[in-house]
Formats: sequence, structure tokens, C-alpha cells
Amino acid sequence: MSAFLSYLIHGVCVGCGFALIASGLIIIYRVTRVVNLAQGMFAVVAGFTATSLLGAGLPHVISELTAILAAAAVGLLTGCVAIGKRGTHPQASLIATLGVGVFGYAVEILTWGDQPRSFSGLTGAFEVVGVHVSTQYVLITVVTLLVFGALELFFEGTYAGKALTACASNPYAAALQGIGVMRMGLFGFALGGALGGVAGVLLTPLQPISYDSDVLLFVNGFASAILAGLTRPVFALAGGVALGVAESMVAGYSKASYQSSLALILTLGILVVQATRRQALHTVEE
Amino acid sequence: MHVNARSLTLAGVASASFIAAALLDDSALAVYVLLALTASVTIGISLLMGHAGQVSLGHGAFYAAGAYTAGILATQGCPTWLGLLFAPIVAAALAGIVGIPLLLLRGHHLAFATLALHLIFLSLISELSITGGDVGLQGIPRFSVAGVTLTSVRSYAFLSCGGLFLIVVVARNILDSRPGRALRALSSSEVAAASSGVPVGYYKLAVFALSASFAGLAGGIYAFYMGYLAPGSFPVMLSIEYVVMAAVGGLGKVSGALSGSVVVFLLVHGLSRVATLNGMPGTAPVILLYAVYAVLLITAVLFLPGGLVAFASTNWGRLRARFGVGTNTQVSVAAVDERGSPAAPESVAPKHGSFS
Repeated sequence: MSAFLSYLIHGVCVGCGFALIASGLIIIYRVTRVVNLAQGMFAVVAGFTATSLLGAGLPHVISELTAILAAAAVGLLTGCVAIGKRGTHPQASLIATLGVGVFGYAVEILTWGDQPRSFSGLTGAFEVVGVHVSTQYVLITVVTLLVFGALELFFEGTYAGKALTACASNPYAAALQGIGVMRMGLFGFALGGALGGVAGVLLTPLQPISYDSDVLLFVNGFASAILAGLTRPVFALAGGVALGVAESMVAGYSKASYQSSLALILTLGILVVQATRRQALHTVEE
Repeated sequence: MHVNARSLTLAGVASASFIAAALLDDSALAVYVLLALTASVTIGISLLMGHAGQVSLGHGAFYAAGAYTAGILATQGCPTWLGLLFAPIVAAALAGIVGIPLLLLRGHHLAFATLALHLIFLSLISELSITGGDVGLQGIPRFSVAGVTLTSVRSYAFLSCGGLFLIVVVARNILDSRPGRALRALSSSEVAAASSGVPVGYYKLAVFALSASFAGLAGGIYAFYMGYLAPGSFPVMLSIEYVVMAAVGGLGKVSGALSGSVVVFLLVHGLSRVATLNGMPGTAPVILLYAVYAVLLITAVLFLPGGLVAFASTNWGRLRARFGVGTNTQVSVAAVDERGSPAAPESVAPKHGSFS
């Protein structure tokens, strides 16, 4: 029983990280119709930056915040490449973000080398219902909840949030209202970068990251986003936690190497079911 | 007449490649073999992306499937030619089976699904005992047929070049046939193609399986050439490289896939040779590799929508038209029309005449 609980709690925390990546993907997708294949790279950049800043002797909170800002800047740059040229088809932008992700590899290896890196997060642990829970896990959950709360407030309560939503639902109508769709798209990319950065600084203490960690981060983030139907960022929290728990259970009761395959197969299944339903409804996409 | 010119070009390129295989030294031949194998896969990707309109970020998995099929059969005692025969068959069968559900997906969903396929395949081959797990499959015998065993790099250069030639011929013949025209119709509008009686789903699956069989054949040759296979030989980056090459060369054309893979491959290898020169840090080759692929991919996608071939041919035509003098002008304008048309693969109808 206590094993089950500890798998559950581990799954929830890891799932929060997935959800953060998923929310970035969703925000970018909603505004620009681009699936950002470089999303995992944002997390890796933030993780590496935080490691370096902490290594240079900066205090904890400042290092992490700077790393998140760096990830946001990388997100903005990615956006410039992906949608900066007017009239780029979302499919072409998708391939362009793939190119940015690969370019990220080059920059990361150049700056930080090709070895995995990590930094120590919060130490210590709690006893919750007889289960050992490390403080870092609690931190991840709390920060994720705060971030998602802030996102919800932002989308519902601010002009920029409303404008983003407008661009998402109908870019043409939004442009007629005087909303700069391109600017909003770039803003979406920057926000997505920041969210990926939050995930990166939170997850790096759990498991060392290397430059190619971005594939698994992206895959899990996209899987969570698909579970959430690629619609609202807040739904991604549910999707990410569900995926995190499922993976944690598989890793705990079966074999750790099966966990990412499970996530992939699950996601493929959902995608295919969605596609068959869409075909049955005769609603042609796009 | 058009077909004759194309056939002549093909024959010229093929004989030049065979002569190159006969003349180059061993270190150049090692590059040559890998280039020919890469080009083989890229042709399949180019067909799939350009004609069936499907992005695949998972063709490295079919390459690996072909390699492991050949490797496992050969290490289990089958004749090596049988292993090479089964490599494309198994890869195509795999694509045919997974393609049924996956090809229901479109756009970024399919891109993700094929990427996922590659990752699942990698974790599968590092788990199974028959594939040797993480350690890999060792002791694959050399390829031998009719009592002749291929041992030298040169013999594998000929083998891979022969495989590539076979793939080029198959791809060209399919493109020039009725199914090929149906495919081009399909790539511009699935709805329009379906309403004209093209069995869209079946053709998409067929191209997927065909491109996988190209990858499988190349993988089979790779297995015998290397003699050793491990999951690490087939990273996700491999699948991405094929897409880069196809995009750089121009999608949907055999010449595009060939020129794209030659240009990108030689560029990357040339740079990695520079990067391994004295005084360069150990990570320099990897950094250059990633940077070159990234820059090429972004440039091709954003600025060369028709790829290198279309770009070169339109500009070549334009230059000739500009500098053409007197009687030549008439010819040059015709050349612009004729050579410029591949830049617009959407225009299916006007091209029918030239293919029949």
C-alpha cells in the first residue's frame, strides 16, 4: 500500500512537470496552429542555465527565475523563426521548430558540453500518510498549481489574455478587431518558453538532464496535451497528472524502461480514436 | 523525347556513380556507401512527403527494421541473400500494419505518431533478446551470394549503389504511371482525388509501405556492411536527417531526393572532417552536425519551398532567358516553361502530357 502511495505521489509530481510543458505547447498551438517541436528544448535550456548560475554562486530563487526568463527569450526566438515570415504554413512552421530544436542541440553542446547536468533542489522530506515525500516534490506540485492558477487568471482577467484567446478562436476576426495576430503569436511562443523553463528548473533536480532530454520531455508534454484535447492549458494539468501517474505505476510495478513506451502507445491510441471519430463525423479538419 | 532525355540523365548519373565506386579509395568509399544508403531512404521519404503529403519522422525505424531483419536472419544461419530479400519485405509489412491506424492521422499528429513509432521501436529492440538488447547484434556474417562473399568496402559500394539504382528505377516508374498521377492528385487535395475515384487511403498506405521497403533494403545492406547493430546506431536524429535531405532537395522528385542527400551528406561530412582537424574540441563535430542540419532544414522549409532542384532549375532557366541572344531566346523561354514547372507540384493536370 505504501509502495502504491509513493508511486502515486511520484507520478503526480512528475505529471505536473509534463503539464507545464503541455500548457506551453497548447498556448502556442492555440494561437499559431503550430505544434512546437522545440518545446522540450526550452526546459533543457532553463535547466542548464540554472545549473550554471547556481554554479557561479548566485542564490537559488534568482538563478531559477533568470533561467525561466532565458527560456522565454529562447521561446521568442523560436517564434521569430517559426512564424516570423508571413504566410508560413503551420506545417512548415512545425518543421522549422524541429530545425530550431536541432539548432538548440548545437548551442547547448557548445555552451554546456554533452554530459548530463543537474543541481540540487530542496532537500529534506515529509512524512505524508506514512510515505516519504521529498520537499522538491512538494515544491513542484505547489509551483505548478500556482502557475496554472495564474494562467487561468491571465486568460480570463486581462486584455492580453483575452486577445490571445481571440487569436486562438478566430485569427481573422481578431485581426479585424485590431489585435496583432503575429505579435500575439510571438507572445504565445515567449509564454510557452517560460512555461517550459519552469518545468525545466523544477525537474532538473529530480533527474539530471542532457541536451537530448528534450525528446522525452516533448513526447510526454505532447501526450499530456493530447489527453487534454489540445484545448485549454488548465486541462493539461489533468492530462499531465494522469500520464505521470500511469507512467509511475508502470515503472513501479513492471519495468522502468516501459514507461515512455506506454505513454507513447496511449497517446497514439487516443490520436487514432480521435481521428476515426472525426472521419465518422465527416468534419474535414482545417 | 522528354522521357528519353530523363533516361539518358539517369543512365549518366548511374554510370558515373559506378565509375566513382570503382575509382575512389577506401576512406572515400566508406562515405560513399553511407551516402548511397541514405539517399535510398531519402527517396522514399521524398515520395511519401511530396506525393502522399505525409510527414514521417520515423523512417529511421524502418531502416532499423530492415537492418535487424537481415542481421537476425543471417546470424540464425539463413543465407545472407535471403536476409537481404526479407529486409525490405519485413519493413514494408511493418509499415503496412502500423500504417493502417497511423495514416488516419494528419499533419502534426502524424509527425508525432511516426516519431513515437521510432521511439517505441528503439525501446523494443533494446529490450528483446533476439535483437541483442542494448549490447546489440554482433557477428553478422558478410553478404554472400552464389559463392561470392563481399568483404571489401568497394564491393559494398557497388552493392549499395546497385540498391540505390534499383530504388530510383522503381520510384521513377511508379511516379510516371497511373498510380503516380493519382498520388500527385492526392497530395494537392485528398477530397478532390477521392471524388475522382482515387482510392486515397489505399494509395497512402501503399506509398508508406513502399517508402518503408526502400528504407528496409538500405538497412539490410547496412547490416551486412557494418557487421554489428545496436539501438544506438539508429537515433531519432537519423529520421530527422532524412527529412532534412528530402526538404533541401525538393519533395516528390527523385532528382530532388538524390541531390538533396548528396549535397547535405557531403556538406556534413566535409565539415565534420574539418571539425576533427587539430586543435578542435572533441564536441566540435557533433556541434557542427546539428548546426548544419538545423540551418539547412530551416532555410529549406522557409525559403526554398520547392527545394534545391526547383530553385536551381527556375533560376537556371531565368539566367538563360536573360542572357540568351538572338535565336536562342525562343529556346530559352521554352526552357523556363519546361524546367520551371516542377517548382509547382500542385499543377497536376498540365503535366500529364509530358509523362505519358
